[in-house]
Amino acid sequence: MVKIEDLKRINLLRDFPDHLFEIIANEAQLNIFGAGTQLIAVTEPVNTFFMLIMGQVALKRELTSEIDIILDNLQSGSSFGSSSMIEGSKATYAATCQETCEIITLSGIRMQMLFKQNHELAYRMMFGVAQQYKKHLDTRAQMIMKTLDENPELKDSIKDIENLTLMI
Amino acid sequence: MVEKDILKKIVFLKDVPDSILEKVGAIAQLKTFDEESILFRQGQEEAFLYMIVSGKVFLNCRSVQGKSLTLDEVSEGRTFGVSALLGESSSTFTAVCAQPSSFITISGQQMRLLFEADFQTGYTLMLKLAELFRSRMEMHTRQFLHSLAMLPEVI
Repeated sequence: MVKIEDLKRINLLRDFPDHLFEIIANEAQLNIFGAGTQLIAVTEPVNTFFMLIMGQVALKRELTSEIDIILDNLQSGSSFGSSSMIEGSKATYAATCQETCEIITLSGIRMQMLFKQNHELAYRMMFGVAQQYKKHLDTRAQMIMKTLDENPELKDSIKDIENLTLMI
Repeated sequence: MVEKDILKKIVFLKDVPDSILEKVGAIAQLKTFDEESILFRQGQEEAFLYMIVSGKVFLNCRSVQGKSLTLDEVSEGRTFGVSALLGESSSTFTAVCAQPSSFITISGQQMRLLFEADFQTGYTLMLKLAELFRSRMEMHTRQFLHSLAMLPEVI
């Protein structure tokens, strides 16, 4: 059980109605994780949805045995592990606390069960997840476009530039 | 109004139950546009979702430096303008008909009203969209890491 005021600090839940906050608050847990704690491991199933109240979490991928690439540094209000709410998902990144973090967690399996009973909860969560993915994709597309603008010779070596358009 | 048999030809709506297709069809329209018709411009808010029934569309973008780039040629069965479903953000490209083309168009606002009235329909379609976006994100990440691995000077 967590406080509804804490849930209201999470960007993905920004427009949720109060009756859904109550359901989520009953399912959620507030946890403190120390610096260096690995919350998600690459290729492992993602079982938990994480909502960051305080602290910083890095999303990383290993490039070589000596080099990790930080894909994103998440701050308070961010959420991750949304794959846990979609069946059959495995992590494509590792999530590690960069400092002591206060994080609200939700069981992905429990949320999937609730989605079958409460379609409003299911719709609003998935709407937020889709918006979150799109925001990341738009940011990446803008970065790629800027790079192509500065280095037009790279265009010929990109075989799947169409993926920037979000055509489905 | 668009019949579900036509909606079933659209990749995004593949495997969607008939009951949902009927609701989507009730707010959808079939429209035909001439060659070189501009459906929407880069920077404009995307108000409609476009599903190509026949024809072809170029998705172009103009860079900050003014260079024009064709990002994609989209043909029948494909959908674009998905930002309209999420009720946010302006388009990152301009959509121009490469030949006379017919589309199923759905107002993003009407679609969101449908979702608010029928959460199960909303969930079914948002889950599909989230899954598609997620797999696109994963692909981008793999490509990004592959590119970095190929360019040791970056490291």
